Order: sequence, then structure tokens, then C-alpha cells
Amino acid sequence: MEDQSKLSGRRIFLKNAASIAAVGALGSSFILKSCSGDKTPKVVAPTFLDQAAEGKVLKVGLVGCGGRGTGALFNFLNSGPGIEIVALGDVFADRIGRCRNQLKEQRNVEVADENCFTGFDAYEKVLDSGIDVVVLATPPYFRAQHFDAAVRARKHVFMEKPLAVDPVGARSIMASAKMADTAGLKVGCGTQRHHERDYLTTYEHIKSGLMGDIVGANCYWNQGQLWFVNPQPGMSEMEAMLRDWVNWTWLSGDHIVEQHMHNIDVINWFTGKIPSKAVGFGSRQRRPTGDQYDNFSVDFVYEDGMHMHSMCRQINGCANNVSEFVVGTKGQSNCKNYVEDLQGNKLFEFTYAEEGSDAERESSGVKNVSPYDQEIIDLVTAIRNNTPYNEAELCAKSTMVAIMGRISAYTGKEVTYEEMMNSNLKLGPEDVSMATTGVKAVVAVPGVV
Amino acid sequence: MNKKAKTVKKKAKYFIIAGFILGATFIILSSKAIKYTSTDEFCMSCHVHPHAEDAWRLSTHYDNASGVVVHCVECHLPPPGTVHYLTAKAVTGARDVYGTLFKDPEEINWEAKRRLEAAVKHTYQESCMTCHQNLFPRQLSAEGMDAHLYYSNNSEKLNCLNCHLHVGHYSDVPHEQQLNFGAAAAEPAVIFEQAAEVTGFEKFTETIPGTSVQFDMLPIEGGTFTLGSPAKEPGRSFNEGPARNVEVSSFFMAEVEVTWDMYMAFFNETRSEGRKDAGAFAQSLDDITSPDAISGPTPPWGNPDQGWGFGNRPAITMSYHAAQTFCRWLSLKTGKNYRMPTEAEWEFAARGGTSTPYFFEGNPKDFTRTHWLNRILGADTTLINSYIIYDANSQLKTHTPDTIWANPFGLKNMLGNVWEFVADYYAEDAFAQYPEGQTIKDPKGPETGNERVIRGGAFNSDAYDVRSATRSQTQHDAWLVTDPQIPKSIWWYSDSYDVGFRVVLEWNAP
Repeated sequence: MEDQSKLSGRRIFLKNAASIAAVGALGSSFILKSCSGDKTPKVVAPTFLDQAAEGKVLKVGLVGCGGRGTGALFNFLNSGPGIEIVALGDVFADRIGRCRNQLKEQRNVEVADENCFTGFDAYEKVLDSGIDVVVLATPPYFRAQHFDAAVRARKHVFMEKPLAVDPVGARSIMASAKMADTAGLKVGCGTQRHHERDYLTTYEHIKSGLMGDIVGANCYWNQGQLWFVNPQPGMSEMEAMLRDWVNWTWLSGDHIVEQHMHNIDVINWFTGKIPSKAVGFGSRQRRPTGDQYDNFSVDFVYEDGMHMHSMCRQINGCANNVSEFVVGTKGQSNCKNYVEDLQGNKLFEFTYAEEGSDAERESSGVKNVSPYDQEIIDLVTAIRNNTPYNEAELCAKSTMVAIMGRISAYTGKEVTYEEMMNSNLKLGPEDVSMATTGVKAVVAVPGVV
Repeated sequence: MNKKAKTVKKKAKYFIIAGFILGATFIILSSKAIKYTSTDEFCMSCHVHPHAEDAWRLSTHYDNASGVVVHCVECHLPPPGTVHYLTAKAVTGARDVYGTLFKDPEEINWEAKRRLEAAVKHTYQESCMTCHQNLFPRQLSAEGMDAHLYYSNNSEKLNCLNCHLHVGHYSDVPHEQQLNFGAAAAEPAVIFEQAAEVTGFEKFTETIPGTSVQFDMLPIEGGTFTLGSPAKEPGRSFNEGPARNVEVSSFFMAEVEVTWDMYMAFFNETRSEGRKDAGAFAQSLDDITSPDAISGPTPPWGNPDQGWGFGNRPAITMSYHAAQTFCRWLSLKTGKNYRMPTEAEWEFAARGGTSTPYFFEGNPKDFTRTHWLNRILGADTTLINSYIIYDANSQLKTHTPDTIWANPFGLKNMLGNVWEFVADYYAEDAFAQYPEGQTIKDPKGPETGNERVIRGGAFNSDAYDVRSATRSQTQHDAWLVTDPQIPKSIWWYSDSYDVGFRVVLEWNAP
């Protein structure tokens, strides 16, 4: 039996060898070709897998059965055959119920009663239920603890950003990421822009020197008010906070961390460096619940003197913008699908083929696969082919940078990345249980010691 | 011709075969020799410090759950097969043979040899790494994860031994925060109720209210002197000049360096339990108006006294910030204005009216052990031995003040025993920044800086470095490299055990 499985494993390997070579770690593998006669480097279009490599059946468990967690399970099911959803865990039974119903109704997938776990220790039971891959999608406060447990249990992981709410948590993720590497585990992180063909293709063009060296950056997540949940009769203090988690700093990290971290991460990715310090400000104008701000503006400075300006807002009736922008010595780009020179002449543009067109049918290079599916396709492929795949370190660094921006805005002080790497700041109550009380909604006031 | 050529060929063949055999024999023999000389038994046949063997057998590298024994050469030589393996083996072997033949093991300071700075010379980081390839094993604790992450990001600054000093040879030195530090002190017989009253410019004994601690303060009559050393002084460094004329006002200076007894009174009254993220948000010490408001040191990591004892030995390993906080506390307790001396005050007091390298007669050249002639022939060190605790007489640890004589002003241990923090920021060219050709009154050094000046040399300094003019500086980052806590302590230096301080009090003549 053992030999046979090894053999089939090898066959799968051979079968997929070509796609492995093409896909690489992040689903991107561009080859720069420099022809002898032509001095401009040519970027070869990437090959994306529309479906995960075939192979061993993977049993998937979910911790945190909210909208995103449930969505991630659908993305797993969309990635191709050989995926089994076997265990669910959440603090709240109603969340599990809703997730189960959706799986049943939309995909005819059933999860057995004995594999559904409620409570704060549900993650341990999910990890212990015989799964291969765990999806971690609780509020980010719990991520470091869950990731640590998952890696020690030797499970592959897909976890949602942000990865932490405080420096202690972000460092814990970084260390666990190293343990995951030594254990050969694959880790995907929910920074789905790394799996979008437009971003990746643009990235490769910028990397090839199309617009020179990047010398400045901006990034934005300005949108209307996000959802909130008012405390209901019969809810404990803790339950009310958990159900309203995107409004509480200790649970979400505030929206600069919880949401805007995506854009900061793109700049970190495109520049290949991490800001060394930040001075920011922000305030709370119209947020109905919790203790978070609803706007931030942060000047991040890099070791070499480069600046990144980051702004984010969750207020209705204002100008909205979710994007990134980088300026180079020879041009500028939105990171997503175009590059122009400094006079505004187009140097590169990426467009998806029209849905159902010949181009789309013929080439997988232009098909607009949902990035949420793509990141799972790439993760599952890496697991089955045993290729290196670990997004946690970069994602933890981007999380830490966003935390640095938040702390600067909250305190009014200049905050350095070095301080973050040496800080013992840990948010949240000492013990988290449904009986926990006494967490006050205290909004940070800058300039006060 | 042909025949001859054949014979030559035949001969050559024999030579080659003989060469092969010789070569093979040589390789086999030398590999046997290497093997033989690499056994634990062989090492221990010469290494006549049995505690090394005992401590090894007690260590985790001998006695562990997996049953694997790590042998002497696996840590004390580079990994076999590396380029410098054989040279390191030859050099180590030669040194050990020399030591065995010519040295008296009783006279070797084994305790000092086990300290970090000695240990890193006898163990190889790459050898650690040869076995310890996975720095993030499944059983690693949360603290270990954070520490190894720190190492991964700072590997050029850190050696494995910084944190794992005693893994090869067991030690009972605690490897943890000493939460009960100071708690075991005996109930004192006398508790002073009042601080001393200063009635005139004469020696007085300060008594710290609420404690049993007292110490003598000596009047230092102000005057003019030459700060720094003449260009030709033996052992002089560039930073000791150019010499300048300086006038200092009268002040009182503590007869001795701040002792552990004094420091522990401060620690026990102000200790703070939890770790506070002070740093940039710390309250200015000047804003504190009551000793009760001072939040003092957190418990130290390991043994601050290095196992040498407390009492009247000079307190060591406290950070500069801790020393400043001590002065503030002492001032509030006694209703006076204690502080650390300026560099000029310190040197004026250390010289005791002299302008020679030491405050007694003698040439550093005759005392130094850096000179090979002195090492072989020995030097007449009677005089220096009576005044200074330095590397030739200290057994590489601190000593109590009663073991030496005072300087002309009655001060003890100004030179040697421990370096002393002073108030000035350090600059290599600090004296050059003072105007030439005039007398500078009460100079205070550069306005800003990152590090502070330390003066006087210590128990581990050569005779050259315990001169009145010797200057050095704090090294904040380097002195905290080993501290495993995140963030690192603001109260205790993990990698400095030869620096203390002494207090002064301004005298305002009525």
C-alpha cells in the first residue's frame, strides 16, 4: 500500500512537473529573456493554473465560520477535485449553522455533527479532527494563537489577513512561519492581490525596469462606513464585542490594520522593502460602536529616505478610493494594470480577455479567475506538489507596518519598525472567555502619555 | 636506450606505488591520530580541571532525554571537513600542550574562563549550527520562538552562547528573571531616621532615612588642574587630549563607589514588578518630587553580582538610566542634590593634585602585561597593587574598598575596580571642543550624544587603562546583546559587569 501511494505520488509529480515549473511558489513565474540583438528585457506572460494540480485528497477544516471563512471554503471547493470539508469551529453555534447550511444548499457538502465545534477552544478540536489543511478566519486577535497551534499540529494553513493586532502577535506569526518552513508546511495568507494576474503582470514589468527605480508610493482605502452590530438584549459583553469585532481595536487592529493593510502590503511587495518608521494621525468622527478610529493618514519613511503616504477612511459621503500608486525614476503605475512614463505616455497596460471570447478560451494567461479562488488553487497546488509556499512572513511584516502606523496615530509619536520588533504591546483582556467583562471602549488620544 | 627507458619507467612505477603506499599509510595513520586525539579521554588526559568534566556530564549536552552525548571536539573545534579544522586542531593542541607543561592549573582562573567573552573563543558557532539545524522545533516555547526570531533577524550580532552559555558545561547560575532578587536581605539592626546634615565643608557620613545604609562623603576643595594627559604619556589614547586647563568648584565626593548595599536599598524601595514600556514615554526624573513616585528597576535576569557577592563590593551591571534614577532617589531621600560627577570633577578628584599617569609614582610601561618582557620577567608591582584593583591582582572580579589604599584626597578605587559612569556625553574629541589657552570653569562636556563617558578602568583592565586620564564610553546596544527579554531591560545591562558609579554633592559655600 505504502509503495503504491508513493508511486502514485511520483506519477502525480511527473504529471504536474510542467505546471510546477511554470507556476512556482506564488503562481507567478515570469522569465526574463534577454535576446542578444534586443536589449530591452522581455517579460514572458505567466502561466496560471485555472485549477489546482491533481493529487492527494485534502481534508479541510475551518476555524471562524463567518462570511470570509465560509467564502474560503467555497474557494477551496472551486479549486478543483479532491477537496473535502470535514470540520467547522466557531465561538458561536449560529455561525456554524449558517456555514453548514450554505455548504449544503450550494454545494451539497455535509459536515458531520461530531465535527462541528463551538467555543474558544474549537480551534484545537478542529486541528485534532484529522484534517490536512486548516482555514483560520476568526477576528485577527486570535490568529497568532491559532497559527501557532496549527503549525505545531503540522497542518497546512490558509489564514486571512491581517495576521495580528499587536507587535507581540505579529512576531509570533513571524516565528511560527519559520517553524512552518522547517516542517515543510504550506501557508497562504489572504493577500489575494498576489494572485491577481493584472497585479502580477504589472509587477513583473515594473521589476524589469520599465519605469526605473521606485522612488515614492501612495496607497488608499477610503470607503464608506463598514458594518456594525449594536449590543442586543441577552448578549454578554464579550459576545457583543465579538459580533461587532471590526469596530474594536483589540479584535481587528483598527481598520488601518484590518483593511488598509492590503494596500500597504502591495507597496511592500512592489518596493521589496519595509518602512523603518512612521508618523501618522487619525481620528474617530462617525463610527457608531467600538473604540476604533474611522480615518488615518500616515507618512511611512524607508531607510533610504523614500516615503509612502497611506490613507484610509470608513466614513459615508466622502471621496472613495481603494488603490495603490508608485512613482519611479522613469514612470509611474497604479500597480494593478498600467504603467506610463512621466509624460503620461502608456508604457504597458493589462487587460483581461472578454468573458467567453476566443482569447479567454485559448489562453489561461488572460482568464479572469477570481483571486480568492486563485490563491487557493496556488496553495493546494503547492501542497500537492510539495513546492515551497509560505506567504506568512511578508504578510506578517505588512501587518506589523500597519500596526506601526496605527500606534503612531494613536500616540502622536514617531514609531519605528525596530521599536515594533522589540515591543511587548499585547492588546486585549488577560483572559478571553464569554464571561470576560470590563473591556472599556477607550478611544486613543494622541499626545497624551 | 630502449632498455634504459624501460628501467626508468619501471623505477618510476615502483616509486609511484611506494608513494601511494606511503601516502595511504600516512593518511591512515594521521586519520588514526586525528581520531585518537579527538576522543574525550584524550582531551581529559591533559585537561586537569576536573570540574570541566563534571560540569559537562551534568550538562544537557551529556545528560539529556535523547541519550546523545556531545563530545569535547564537537564544540571546541570547527566541524571536521571545514578548511580550518586542522589548523584549529593544531593550534588548540599546541596551546594545551604548552599549558599542561608550563602552567599551574591551580593558578588559572577557571571561573573567568567560563564567562561569555572567554567561552566564545573556545567554541565555534558553526559547530553549534552543524547539529542545531532547526531553530524552530515543535517543542520550542513561545519565549524561545520570539528569541530565535530575534536571532534570525540579528544573527551577525549574536552568538549562540549569548543565551546558551551553560549548555556544554552545567552551571547553577539561574537563567531566568530573579523575581525574588533582594528579598532575602536580613532585617537590618539600625534604621536611620534622618539624613545627615551638612554643616560645613568637611567630611560627613550620609545616612539614608528608612534604611540601614550609610556612606562617607569627602570634601574636595576646588582648584585648577590639567584635564587630559600629555601627548607622551605611556599608554595614552588620542581621546585623552588635547589637555586643557580646567577649574572645578568645590564639591563632596563619595569615598567609595556605590556599593551593593547602597544600591539594594534603592532597589528594594523602588523595584517595580511588571515590565514597563518606558522608553520614549518615560516621565522625566526631574519631574518626580517624592521618592515614592519613583518606579525603579525591574528584577534582573541572572546574577547581577556575577556570583562574587554583594555587601561592600561596588554595584555593577546597572544601566546608566538606573544609575541616574538612583541619584534622583538618593536626592529625594536625603533632601540633597546628589548626582554623578562631571568628567572634569571626576578627573580632578582622581588625580588628587598629581599630574602623573597615576596618583602615585610609577610608569605604566613597567606595570603593563601587554609588554612581553614584563610577562616573562615579571614587574615590580608592589606600589600599584596597593592602590589599584586591575587585571594583574583582581582574579578578574571586583573587590571591596578595604583591600586597597586611598588616593591623596582620601578617595578609594577611583582607578580600577570598576569603571565609573560620569555625567558627560562621550565624544572622542571632547577636550578639543574646549577653547585653547584659557581656563575653563566647570566644563560639562558635549551638549548631546548617544553614549556617556566612563572613567578609571576596572578589575579587568591592563595597567595602561587604569591611568587617571584613561577615557572610555558606554556601549548601550552591545551591553544589552544577550538580554533575552523583549523589549530589553532599561535597568540592567546583560553584557557589562565592570562598570559602576559614584555620587557627588555640590557644595555651596554659605
